[in-house]
Amino acid sequence: MPDHTIIVGAGVAGLECARRLRRAGRGTVVLERTPWVGGGCATRSFEGQPVDVGPMFFHGQDPGFLAALGRVAGGTVLEAWPRRVQGGSPPCQPDALEPVSHRLAFAEGLNAFPRHLAADLDVRLQTTVTGIRPLEEGFEVTTGEGTVFRGRDLVLAMALEDTLALLATLPAGTGSASIQALLGMFSSVPSLTLIAGYPVGAHTPPWDLLLPESEVLQLIAHDSAKRVEPRFLTLVCQARPKWSRVRLEQPMVEWAPELLEAASAELGPWALRPIWTFPHRWRHARVDRSCELAQPVRIRFDHGQTLGLAGDVFTPGGGLQAAWRSGARLAESLLAG
Amino acid sequence: MSIMDDKLNALVERDREHECQGFGTDHVCVRIVAVAKLPSRFGDFRIVAFWNNRDQKDHIAIVHGDVIGFEDVPTRMHSECLTGDVIGSLRCDCRDQLETALKRIGELERGVVLYLRQEGRGIGLANKIRAYALQDRGLDTVEANLALGFRDDERDYAVAAHMLHSLGLASVQLMTNNPDKIGQLQQYGVKVSSRLPHLLPPNAHNRFYLETKAKRSGHFIDFSGMPHLQEQSDPVVVDGMSEL
Repeated sequence: MPDHTIIVGAGVAGLECARRLRRAGRGTVVLERTPWVGGGCATRSFEGQPVDVGPMFFHGQDPGFLAALGRVAGGTVLEAWPRRVQGGSPPCQPDALEPVSHRLAFAEGLNAFPRHLAADLDVRLQTTVTGIRPLEEGFEVTTGEGTVFRGRDLVLAMALEDTLALLATLPAGTGSASIQALLGMFSSVPSLTLIAGYPVGAHTPPWDLLLPESEVLQLIAHDSAKRVEPRFLTLVCQARPKWSRVRLEQPMVEWAPELLEAASAELGPWALRPIWTFPHRWRHARVDRSCELAQPVRIRFDHGQTLGLAGDVFTPGGGLQAAWRSGARLAESLLAG
Repeated sequence: MSIMDDKLNALVERDREHECQGFGTDHVCVRIVAVAKLPSRFGDFRIVAFWNNRDQKDHIAIVHGDVIGFEDVPTRMHSECLTGDVIGSLRCDCRDQLETALKRIGELERGVVLYLRQEGRGIGLANKIRAYALQDRGLDTVEANLALGFRDDERDYAVAAHMLHSLGLASVQLMTNNPDKIGQLQQYGVKVSSRLPHLLPPNAHNRFYLETKAKRSGHFIDFSGMPHLQEQSDPVVVDGMSEL
């Protein structure tokens, strides 16, 4: 147990935190609910063709973050993607397209980055943490699969709402009440997403990213423009937060066609007839930018063990850069003692 | 226009192309960009506007008398507090701290108030109000305040040090009840010749400080049961109270 840290959530924040702790010689284990690493930084494969499902590109200004992206082994970097942006609507992250931000993508999909971060880590996939409690000199984590993990420090690096749900399993009076109340004032933003595949050649949008002035669509990304010799033209349609929130609990068969219709209104009737579609429900796509904290949280318990919180809420700036920085900062803070 | 105005305006000209390594780990660099007269109810001042390379905040110096090149210039650092400074909030003592500084300096031969636009000491107004909301629910907000960004003074000192350097003060007498501030400023090359305690005159709103046993933790509950936040990086000392 000495110096052993349990990290819950294999998103960019949790992986960067674990990577730094491990590099400094600490024992780490990362517990992840889904079958893959990366959290929101997700890429799916359709007949071998990668499609980004969450963020469409990396953007940021932090030299450390940009350097970390540069170290991804085997990643084919697409500098300054998206180059062709159309539409007058602001992007999800207001400064993403500013000239001061660096932008890039990977031909293999953005998920190459979290996979790279996870390369040397002990990550337990499909492991759902259901409860946490402080022990005499550490923490105990119980999972839905029946396994129990014990460590000295514990890091929660998940979506805000999932973090809150786990904090609620702590016994009363353990000192996290003010943090729970604070986080209770915050919320994440949902996004319903539809990926549509079309034959190559018939229609090719002249842009990489479309930001329509639509009440339904936040963006349409020309995902196949990122791929080498794509088999399909792939478009990723992401819905606006407000539109998404009211349809979040509806079955996909109800909202997916609506999203396609909205895309067709922008692109033409051909867009109504994809060869295949794939819907995805991002319940907690990203932090609401009015809900940002200055730094990762550390709650010290009676015997000096620390419960740390990381994720895009816990560093200003939003996006994958904020998630990465929060994980990095929390790790440095834990290592400093 | 007096000689003093000419001297201050010359600083605007001097700083037009100013670039330096910057102060502190953030390499904060500031330039004096505009100077004007500012007669106020607290005395005759000049207001000096600064640009900085780190954020979009326009920090200012409120200058009384001839300060350029002088030793022992009485100087006060104040962090912006909209609720206290402007609205007269009684959740903090910022208004009293600012007014007292301006009045005292206005009565002296010379002096400077640095008004740092770091609302709630960098926390931002919305987050400061979130901290208030937590207090309203009776929560102890130590960790929450940290998360909200409540105690990150390093940049304040770097900015303040560069501002004092730009104003060309030979040395300062720092008006503070926080002796740590002296060392912090000295780290950035500011010559601090002495410290002047910053004593607030007692009034109906701060009298409870005299009647509460002063605690080093700085935890004070006022007569209406409201905890006062130490929003300046400087403990409140009301005249007649033993210094912390």
